Amino acid sequence: MTSSPSAVGASRRTWADWVPVSGMSAGSIGSPPGRPSKKVVQVLGPSVDRATETPEQRDARFERDALPFLDQLYSAGLRITRNPADAEDLVQETFVKAYAAFHQFEPGTNLKAWLYRILTNTYINSYRKKQRQPQQSPTEQIEDWQLAAAESHTSSGLRSAETEALDHLPDSDVKDALQQLPEDFRMAVYLADVEGFSYKEIAEIMGTPIGTVMSRLHRGRRNLRQLLEQYAIDRGILRPGDLNEEASS
Amino acid sequence: MSCGNPHELDCREVLETVYLYLDDECENGRRLKIKQHLEECGPCLREFGIEAEVKTLVGRCCGKDAAPDSLRLNILGKLRDAGIDR
Repeated sequence: MTSSPSAVGASRRTWADWVPVSGMSAGSIGSPPGRPSKKVVQVLGPSVDRATETPEQRDARFERDALPFLDQLYSAGLRITRNPADAEDLVQETFVKAYAAFHQFEPGTNLKAWLYRILTNTYINSYRKKQRQPQQSPTEQIEDWQLAAAESHTSSGLRSAETEALDHLPDSDVKDALQQLPEDFRMAVYLADVEGFSYKEIAEIMGTPIGTVMSRLHRGRRNLRQLLEQYAIDRGILRPGDLNEEASS
Repeated sequence: MSCGNPHELDCREVLETVYLYLDDECENGRRLKIKQHLEECGPCLREFGIEAEVKTLVGRCCGKDAAPDSLRLNILGKLRDAGIDR
């Protein structure tokens, strides 16, 4: 005896009401999806003529289109600043700036990427300076051991055991590992893996060449994988031997 | 670094492009060659499996924090103030 038929029916109705219609853009629904697909095309409802739009209409459009990204930007802010109070300040400043610049936003282009660019710029240009924590150590230095470690794993035959173990890590371990990455790596990995931005979009958001994005992703993920493997070993769900057991065979 | 079997693409070359493949940033010809290699090569497939798992974990675990209601209200308040001041 789990639940009554009426309860099941009620929960179904709620779910159906909430699920966005397939094909709608992330910018036009009240609740952004948890895992938006890459290359989202912004679809505006009524077409916008910025020349004739009144300030009040623009305000309404901002509230309708930009505010639904609040939760996503807050999550990103948390990962970037690594604490809730700083994340709130950063996101608030981002929305105030976005609002002030919204007349410059080209309707029909990628609003989410535009908001992320403002978030990133705000953090880099003004917010980061206020933070008291010391800067990260130079990011270039960790590449060699990461790559060497990765290469030593590549002929291991027990990858599926490792995949299984990583899959059982608690969410908090994964968040913690991401937050240990140097800032630039962390942002690149977040934008790619959580938000599903393309390399080109990440390059525009972070103001760097695509090659730099690829390098940051590469190093960040190498580092992340090592951290996660260590967490899995520490938790006793992965044996150290499983990483290299067949490497010598 | 190699499973020892001959492939059209070398294992090293495949592993160097693991992220391009997972991020869907490969052009189609290359993507097909990598896919074919993965079907033939267990070690590379397992390596790809781990990298795919790490990518999936980050996507699943790191982006679900809801903004506090106080933040939402603060932002709405600031936007309304800015609108009134205009």
